[in-house]
Amino acid sequence: MAMQTKERPVPNGVILEMTGDLTYANREQFKTAVEAIRQKGCRHLILNMAEVRFVDSSGLGLLALVSQNFRLSQGKVSMLKPQSYVREIMGLANIQKLIPVYDNEQDALTGHQQAA
Amino acid sequence: MSTPVKISTPRNVETPAPQTVLVVDDEPTARVALAARLKRLGYRVIEAGDGKAGLEALRRERPDLTILDWLMPEMDGPSFCELVRRDPELLSSQILMMTSHDQPEQIAEGLARGADDFLSKAASKYEITARVQAGMRSATLIRRLEDVTEEILNKQEALERELQSAARYVETLLPASGTVVPGVQMVRAYRPSLALGGDLFNIVRWSDDFLGLYLLDASGHGVSPALRSASISTFLRRDSLLHHVGSNDPGAVLTEANKQFPLTENGHYFTIVFASLDLRCRTLSYATAGHNGVLLHRRSGETCWMAQPNLPLGFDSSTTYAAVELPITPGDRLYLLSDGLYEVPDPSGELWGQARLDETIRRLGERPLTEAVSGTIAEAIRWQGHEQFPDDVALMGVEIAL
Repeated sequence: MAMQTKERPVPNGVILEMTGDLTYANREQFKTAVEAIRQKGCRHLILNMAEVRFVDSSGLGLLALVSQNFRLSQGKVSMLKPQSYVREIMGLANIQKLIPVYDNEQDALTGHQQAA
Repeated sequence: MSTPVKISTPRNVETPAPQTVLVVDDEPTARVALAARLKRLGYRVIEAGDGKAGLEALRRERPDLTILDWLMPEMDGPSFCELVRRDPELLSSQILMMTSHDQPEQIAEGLARGADDFLSKAASKYEITARVQAGMRSATLIRRLEDVTEEILNKQEALERELQSAARYVETLLPASGTVVPGVQMVRAYRPSLALGGDLFNIVRWSDDFLGLYLLDASGHGVSPALRSASISTFLRRDSLLHHVGSNDPGAVLTEANKQFPLTENGHYFTIVFASLDLRCRTLSYATAGHNGVLLHRRSGETCWMAQPNLPLGFDSSTTYAAVELPITPGDRLYLLSDGLYEVPDPSGELWGQARLDETIRRLGERPLTEAVSGTIAEAIRWQGHEQFPDDVALMGVEIAL
């Protein structure tokens, strides 16, 4: 399934609303969308994963890459509401160590992490 | 998809030969007059007196343009066009149909049956020249497209030969199934999704009672992951490990590998399980990096997935990986595998999954290791309903009989 992305500015950051699969086939689209946000000087990228059904191994690599690139430009990346299957994949690869996961937008904005 | 058109003689682009026109008309006077006019315009002209001779000339000479009379005995113009459009060798020919009664309905019928353009028999010298030139422009564009297509196909073929040769090299890096040391048997299966796979594994005798083994999965598909896999397999050689890590401890090995192999600029990385087997003390020491495909099948019948949740290699340079130690009893089987084995969808999209894989391995527990490995692959193939795996598949089974 293809991926659609939509930017939404929030105080001190940008929420990227993602729909579809974060996979090898959609990697360029995701990279382009995220890189455009980073180039604009965004310091906090929040990936809304609520409508993402599947993340494959290439998708995981892209998430790690995005988190690295934002850190290099003194920014950070957070993740919002991943679906259970995606959450499981993230958990097995311990991605939350690099990208904090939040269940609601307010917590993501304030960086208030709930005990999982 | 249609068969690509084969071009028998390469055309010289720098000094173009005169373009060729085939004139098909049963009426000699009209045919000779048109041929003379075309020759004066600088074209090479071939003449045919009926449809059958015309088709033969078209096949033999591949003219740039065919000017065809509508009314001919036996095979008329529209029938000629239909035959040409059905023939994969000829279908891109440019055909200009000539008629004396150019009613709109007739023109529509001619176009529908395969003509590219029309020329009235009453057309002026000027119109004939213009229509022939327009036909030649189309013919040139189509020829160029065919040439480029052929060039692309040739290049693709060359690339595929290169890939096949690289794939044979990668296969030479893999160990052969058989006895590793007395009492330890290894059976493996390897099914790359493309010609060239990014999965790699090995089992190596470090000393009489000490074995090193690993299985890694490079993310992505094709040449780049295969090259990166070959590169990390060199790093994982024992002499290299002693030099770079100074130890065989799986945790130390992965901690160093994590520093040596950062994420690529495209976000590619490895997942890996690395283990050492001490046959004298009967212990297995292992560490994993984002890799879930490690299963221990105890002689007693129980199975356990050994991976711990942790980052794949290269995600974060400060990560340390710790080894875990497990006692081994004679008859235990250790399976290292890539996720391509169990992440296979059935026709409805449902994945085979680790639980079904686990169940299959337990079911095949009483069979020889060779059958357990081949039977597991066969079960995954049965689930997906075809032989071609969507991702690289590697499975290495190790039975410790000592």
